[in-house]
Amino acid sequence: MFTLALSDEERLIQDTARRFARDRLLPGLRAHERARGVPRELVGEFAALGLTAGEDLGAFARVLVLEELAAVDAGAALALDAGGLAQPLLDAAGLGAARGRGVVIEDVEGRFHARDGRLAGEHPWVPADEIAVAVVLHPERALIVREGWRLTPIAACGLEAAGASRLVLDDAPIAATLEDPRALGRARAGIRTAVGALLVGAARGTHEYAMRYATERTAFGRPIAHHQALAFLIADLATAVDIARLAVWRAAAALDRGESAEWEGASALAEAAEQALFVGPNAVQILGGHGFMKDHPVEKSMRDIRTLAQMAGGRDEAELAAAALVTERELGFAGRGDRCP
Amino acid sequence: MIDLSIGRDLEAQLEQVRRLGREHLRPLGIEADSRREPVPPDHPFFALAWRMGLGQPLGVEERPASGPRSGARRGVVLAEEMSYWDRGMSVAMPGLGLGGPPLLSMGTPEQKERFLAPFRDRERPHWAAFGMTEPGAGSDVAAIQTTAVRTGDDWVLNGAKTFISNSMRADWIVVWATVDRGAGRAGHRAFVVERGTPGLEDMRYEHKMGLIAYESSSFTLRDCRVPAANLLGGERYYAERAGFKGAMRSFNATRPAIAAMAVGIARAAYDAARDFARTHYALDRPIPRYQRVRDKLARMARKIEAGRLLCWRAAYLADLEQPNEIEASMAKAFAAGMAQEATGLAVEILGDAGVTRDAYVEKLYRDVKAMDIVEGTGQIQRIVIARRLVGLPR
Repeated sequence: MFTLALSDEERLIQDTARRFARDRLLPGLRAHERARGVPRELVGEFAALGLTAGEDLGAFARVLVLEELAAVDAGAALALDAGGLAQPLLDAAGLGAARGRGVVIEDVEGRFHARDGRLAGEHPWVPADEIAVAVVLHPERALIVREGWRLTPIAACGLEAAGASRLVLDDAPIAATLEDPRALGRARAGIRTAVGALLVGAARGTHEYAMRYATERTAFGRPIAHHQALAFLIADLATAVDIARLAVWRAAAALDRGESAEWEGASALAEAAEQALFVGPNAVQILGGHGFMKDHPVEKSMRDIRTLAQMAGGRDEAELAAAALVTERELGFAGRGDRCP
Repeated sequence: MIDLSIGRDLEAQLEQVRRLGREHLRPLGIEADSRREPVPPDHPFFALAWRMGLGQPLGVEERPASGPRSGARRGVVLAEEMSYWDRGMSVAMPGLGLGGPPLLSMGTPEQKERFLAPFRDRERPHWAAFGMTEPGAGSDVAAIQTTAVRTGDDWVLNGAKTFISNSMRADWIVVWATVDRGAGRAGHRAFVVERGTPGLEDMRYEHKMGLIAYESSSFTLRDCRVPAANLLGGERYYAERAGFKGAMRSFNATRPAIAAMAVGIARAAYDAARDFARTHYALDRPIPRYQRVRDKLARMARKIEAGRLLCWRAAYLADLEQPNEIEASMAKAFAAGMAQEATGLAVEILGDAGVTRDAYVEKLYRDVKAMDIVEGTGQIQRIVIARRLVGLPR
């Protein structure tokens, strides 16, 4: 019979990440944004906790960590996460843990071309100022490069603490190519699930902030949360966050069970993006004029969510992937005693 | 890590519901819909189902002798499956229905023995019913006007009830009345009113937009004398407010199941639309129209699964006997809205054929609307959530 409980170890991981985010990321929120990164000692401190992408945590524990970090600062979460989204592909290719930041580019528009073991092309935005590895995803292969890029800093909509650059590959030597469909499918599902977890965190953080504000700020003689128009919105935002989280949890659990998880991963990102994009602007709305100002973090979360939802092909690629799988998707329980329907 | 497997036991029960659904529930639901009449209580199917021990799955169970509860979880899965085949028929199924939770949680041992006894007869199907709603009191249950006055050894009930499922065929109805109209819930009393009690009058069918297969009725209580022994829980029960609240909590297990019924209807719409698309469209052709159909199907599938997860979480908490008010209301609010969207998308996928009465999805589109109304409208669910989250005052 199904259960939705976290194990003691998972709770510990969650608490550890939550405490780190509150104690170490929150105080420097705007400073990290301005500095386009988190201080090196914080990166080291977080790595010492053993919660980065390079560790063998499993997908489920990872989504717990990413949600907690992103609930405070999704950009910083990327900056702290070492190989980050690229790590599942490095693992699949047997390349081990990244020695620095990694980025993944879903080459939707065909900007990159491989020839004679080298990769050339350019991409308008990656959420990093310095990287150790880049992965370019084509429909049927992943191309991994570990050198041969030029990164030009740019300004981005959100996730500033992660950095932001235009990336150019000048005949970069291809370190590895991943073509096994199953491994590629699982890696993509892992990436989408991780982005989904960041979206859940960002949405939760900004919803909690707006909800607190709404109980303190008064208008027409009562807390604005007690006006039904906002009370209903707050209820819907809370539901949105929970829906997104459950979808992400389900995908992560499927990954950890060794399933292909392509449908679950694509659905998780599509769902998390949709729900977070609903939450982000509405959290600003709840704060009204104050929400638009940099004095509160909700404007940052709104930008972060918009930016996150573009990552790794974003919502569109996730929805297309799900649509490609849907006609074979059985939603019923028949013969599913052991599996997640 | 979360575990979303159903388990072998439930799988076997599901197989039974599936067979029943394919052979009986769906055909009977469609037949009732086209004839515009509920399935009569003497229909042989009800006797068959009753002998098989199948009733309405509402996640209600008496406390197991040992081990964790699983009734709420079994309830959401079975309710979804039964509603997938036909939600109207799933309400028409014999059994305690919504009369079960108050009897099981409030009733004295003697009352349970007495009122459950007919339900042990497996030869002839039996129904019970739950009568709270009145013409002027729906979501605002505190506003019920039906009065209860103690007269000697009896209580005398006066008032009118409406939208009461299966009440016409019920052995007994749990009727809610007030001893003090000004006291709100504190004045409420629950009575078991047995069929044939003088003063239980004017039973009449109500004509619905959908869910035709089950009968819902209105009735009048005109100087209806009910023995004091039928006051659910006895006098003492109402003196202890905590006990009364406990009774209302028994609905925390049923709300996820009601939400799961919306998921079941949405799933039926998904299957119907997908089957239609498979036979009427070349899904692989790179024409925008076909991508649009696939996008709609993918959205339906994703939302249905999201709704299911919310139901499962609420049921899981109910089985743990942890507070699940927020989660149950989220499940109910989301699933009902989602299912309306899904059935609407299914109608769109079928195009003009989708709005004809021959189209199964057209029936589902009408059926599903009730899910956002019964057991607390979507708006009431949001009020419940907001009360808990931000202290929205009553």
